Amino acid sequence: MSHLLAITIAAPAIAGALLLLVPSSARLAMRVVSLIGAVISLVTAILVATQYDRAQGGLQLLETVPLVPSLGIHLKLAVDGWGVALLLLTGIIIVAGVLASWTVARRDKEFFLLLLVLVAGVFGVFVAQDLFIFFLFYEIAVLPMYLLIGIWGASHKVPAEGPFTFTWKRFDVGSKEYAAMKLTLMLLVGSAAILVAMFLLWANSGARTFDMQVLEQTKFPIAVQHVVFPLVWLGFGTLAGVFPFHTWSPDGHASAPTAVSMLHAGVLMKLGAFGVLRIGMVLVPDAAAWWAPIVGAVAIVNVLYGALCAASQKDLKYIIAYSSVSHMGVVMLGIATMNAAGWNGAVYQMVAHGIMTGLFFALVGLVYERAHTRAIAKMGGFAHTMPVVAGFFTLACLSSLGLPGTAGFVAEFMVFAGAAKGSNWWWAVPGVLGAFVTAVYVLRACKAIFWGPPPQGEFAHLEDVRRTEWAAPLVLGTLLVVFGFWPRLLLDFIDVASQGYLGRLPVVVALAQVVSP
Amino acid sequence: MTLTSCLILAAAVMAIGLYGLVTRKQAVAMLLSVELMANAANMVFAAYGHFRGGPSAQVFVLFALAITVAEVAVGLALVMLLYRRHGDTTVDLASEARQ
Amino acid sequence: MSPSNLAIIATVAPAVAALLLLVVAPLRHKGAPAAWVTLLGSLVSLGSAIMLLLGRVDGGADVRVTTPWIQEGSRAMAEIGVLIDGVSVPMLIIVCLVALCVQLFSVAYMHDEPPRAYGRYFTLHAMFLFSMNIVVVSPNLLQLFAGWELVGLTSYLLIGFYFAKPSAAQAAVKAFWMTKLADMGFLFGLLVLFVATGSFEWTSTPSAQVATWVTALLFVAVIGKSAQFPLHIWLPDAMEGPTPVSALLHAATMVAAGVFLVVRADPLFAQAPETREVMLWVGTVTAVFAAGLALVQKDIKKVLAFSTASQLGYMVAALGAGQAFAGFFHLGTHAFFKALLFLAAGSVIHAVHSNSLEDMGGLRKKMPLTTAAFVIGALSLAGVPGFAGFFSKDLVLGSLEGKGHWIPWTLLMGSAFLTAFYMGRVVIKAFWGNESEKSSHAHESGLAMTGPLMVLAIPSLASGFLGGWLASQVKAEYHVHLGLTPIVASSMAILGIVAAVVVFGRGGKAPFAGVLEKLDTFSLVDRTWASGYRIGLLGIASLAGWIDRYLIDGLMNFTGWATLEGGASARKLQTGLVRDYALMVVVGVVVLVLIGVLR
Repeated sequence: MSHLLAITIAAPAIAGALLLLVPSSARLAMRVVSLIGAVISLVTAILVATQYDRAQGGLQLLETVPLVPSLGIHLKLAVDGWGVALLLLTGIIIVAGVLASWTVARRDKEFFLLLLVLVAGVFGVFVAQDLFIFFLFYEIAVLPMYLLIGIWGASHKVPAEGPFTFTWKRFDVGSKEYAAMKLTLMLLVGSAAILVAMFLLWANSGARTFDMQVLEQTKFPIAVQHVVFPLVWLGFGTLAGVFPFHTWSPDGHASAPTAVSMLHAGVLMKLGAFGVLRIGMVLVPDAAAWWAPIVGAVAIVNVLYGALCAASQKDLKYIIAYSSVSHMGVVMLGIATMNAAGWNGAVYQMVAHGIMTGLFFALVGLVYERAHTRAIAKMGGFAHTMPVVAGFFTLACLSSLGLPGTAGFVAEFMVFAGAAKGSNWWWAVPGVLGAFVTAVYVLRACKAIFWGPPPQGEFAHLEDVRRTEWAAPLVLGTLLVVFGFWPRLLLDFIDVASQGYLGRLPVVVALAQVVSP
Repeated sequence: MTLTSCLILAAAVMAIGLYGLVTRKQAVAMLLSVELMANAANMVFAAYGHFRGGPSAQVFVLFALAITVAEVAVGLALVMLLYRRHGDTTVDLASEARQ
Repeated sequence: MSPSNLAIIATVAPAVAALLLLVVAPLRHKGAPAAWVTLLGSLVSLGSAIMLLLGRVDGGADVRVTTPWIQEGSRAMAEIGVLIDGVSVPMLIIVCLVALCVQLFSVAYMHDEPPRAYGRYFTLHAMFLFSMNIVVVSPNLLQLFAGWELVGLTSYLLIGFYFAKPSAAQAAVKAFWMTKLADMGFLFGLLVLFVATGSFEWTSTPSAQVATWVTALLFVAVIGKSAQFPLHIWLPDAMEGPTPVSALLHAATMVAAGVFLVVRADPLFAQAPETREVMLWVGTVTAVFAAGLALVQKDIKKVLAFSTASQLGYMVAALGAGQAFAGFFHLGTHAFFKALLFLAAGSVIHAVHSNSLEDMGGLRKKMPLTTAAFVIGALSLAGVPGFAGFFSKDLVLGSLEGKGHWIPWTLLMGSAFLTAFYMGRVVIKAFWGNESEKSSHAHESGLAMTGPLMVLAIPSLASGFLGGWLASQVKAEYHVHLGLTPIVASSMAILGIVAAVVVFGRGGKAPFAGVLEKLDTFSLVDRTWASGYRIGLLGIASLAGWIDRYLIDGLMNFTGWATLEGGASARKLQTGLVRDYALMVVVGVVVLVLIGVLR
């Protein structure tokens, strides 16, 4: 029996612990240790993918250690097809993230430590098969964000306006402390909801266990399900940016340093969607079927509203942040369809958006580091001085708007196809419209930043990608295209999991699929 | 001596302690009042143990006494600190935390 | 080699070239090697296409090879692959031949660009050919859509090739947005088809209602891609790109993809007479409208751009009349002569360093080869008997006559007159008449540029005679007949030329030029879209942005504020006096006891 999953989680955590032994002056050693930890977890994630038997499906590579047997808590790790895809995504993003934070200057040891702890939590969530452990890892992943943004973030001013102007006296809206606090508080309220749902499931499981495999087989009373599902949806949904609990995300992403934005938008938001899918949809399917139309309707608001908000932004990071809100809406839309195409698309979109937004934030970080501004109006013609950055940025834009040949197309197309096939066929319409609005705002930004006459004055000599900075964009950009042309690399994993879980869905849903035109 | 009379005595001690706690301003006096209340509770324990139960109640009281001693030690230490800081032991002086 | 492998090679060869250039940066940065790599890729494509053609001439059968692409519930939701039949092989030849000619022309035309830009240019060309071939060989509508979008991407990047120019940047983005807007129709059409039939095959037979919906939605995409009214406005702006790009993408191949789509999806369109009716009228209106505007353009490339929109209108009208073959045939001949016209115009622009017709004049003595090429193209476009354009245009008009669509027929005849008239204007203004200051320094382009012109001139002259063979390939009926249509059409062409000589030979102006110029400069359609974008999209967007920041997020801030304020009020209970706390403890105990007693 291999311990691949345990190694995947432990590698970054151990690297983090080793960092404590490295003297603060040994800056290169610090980075190398972090990178090694990240690379080991990526390699093990790839090994997990190779060892996973797609023909068989289901949960594999099971490892169980009893922790508190009397309460039904076990350290139970196993991976399904979704998990394989998301482990790969996380491994890729953390390697890129460590590389992208090579130049962090202030308190770098603590920075890398928190980054690694966070990512260990993320890995844990994707492979935990025990609700308690799931939640534990979830919190480990979410909480370091407070420090990462509060200490290493950047502040800006937001003018006071509107009916709630009086609150500006209390909050320094736009400051990094404000962003960090808002993010943490909103996510913690979500966590509280999840905790309640978790104990409800535990108490009603009969066997008093947190074991998700057992809970999957349990038929919960419908009343319990109807309490649990909305709690799970909004609890995890807050992290997935579900409207109207998305407002932590633009401020948080805009304030966060590059690598943190990459990890947060790239991987952490996926934890939220994954929670809704893995716990909400799979554990309480009857209530999920009832709530799905509402989840889908809210997801549509996310898609269109997020895209429109992005179109109105003048700050580069806010554009990308709102685009995340919009794209996570696509994920939630796919989840709400409750059919194979939609779920495959949702998980694929998690991966696609993760890579794409990681690329976006890495490039925005590069541009910001050189130009020291994020205001689009001040930029222009940067393609003359930094053609490589321009090229990769365009690629990210194209995936964002769902151009065929990039991973974004496969994901969005499957989600829309799933939506069209479902009982609410019209969901596809605002979804596609959202993709069009995306085309408008990303290309407008692309044109404003990179096209136009050669830059003058302070921007005249911006440096293109340096040798050490090549890795992150290159890896992420290549993967966007590879996954765009060859979706089966991931879809074969994702599909087998969707199949397995869909097979257990209640008859109501199964019927709805047959009846729909 | 009956159980009732013991309980009445305990209630009386409790009432005295309560009165002292609410009315006194001096920290030492308040501490004494608290001690009275604690002993009243111990008395009830001991009485019930004597008339109704076995020796376990007595053991419990002994434990409680030991803890009370520790409590008094902490309490007096606080009073000492209060005196050192303000030169007086009126508890109303200790309201810095309100800021 | 098997036909499917040949088709795959034809598609993938340019992709390999593009990938090589993207990955091996020095090749691209040096410039010249990039051109050779791209040309090699195109040559391999053309060679494979010719071998495919020879195979078909030998009586090879249709081949279809697919592989699962997207999984859904253990079955393939979508497949990719190649389809080799009478439509894809001729189209492949057209695309690869024109692309190769244009790329060869570009080697000299773009010579003055800095090496990096030169390399980028050819990389994009390789990407374009790959994308276009995806469209051509696609066995189903989904792959066609993928290629369709990818050609849109290369079009965007090539229009924006001179991205330092704000107008070029704007034109590129506009072209992408307009086509992307229309492409939503394609996507919806795909979804409807998928929901109804579970596949993306154009051979599927859904109910009549579904067929109408699907075809109507697909046609929206055609309007965008093939620059039909009212989405044509991006095409004239797209002339900001380098001239060879206009020749290849915005005249010969990419814009014709819309027509190609309808030809491909003909089985679906056949089930939707309503859609065809709409197509007939949209095509007719575009043909006339664009021909009218072509008459007053001052920029030689814009004349050709409007002419392209107009000719695409002919094709769409033929498709609307249910004669897919006529549309396809016109697509083929048009690809050759319009590419020829554009490249000849490029040769002229290269010589006089200006796009404006005012700066040309009297070039026929300075640039005899270019003049000959342009005149051949113009005569073919005008539909003078014997030239390629005559046969295909005759077939288009004949198909209308056959179906009894007399009003569109009349209008398109008028447009045929206009075509000859405005082409006459361009030829006279640019190649005859008095020399301008700029044209007096012009001299003939080198063989590298005139060579491709000569190659393209051959099919512009002769490809009309291939109609019978092409018809046999797509299993359509084709017979040349001497009836009303060819007589009227050829007289229209000749009348148009004569009128042009009479009017413009003496430096006159076209009748109604004033009105048309006003129409052109005011550009109502353009303004409508622009204000729709500014008010409709950006307006709503800034409203949404404001709402999010100041209402939704404001509400979140308010929640925090209310919590803090509430805490501040509750704090007043904390007097800091120990006796008060003791009292509260006592009260608490009493309350608890009371609760215990009362229960």
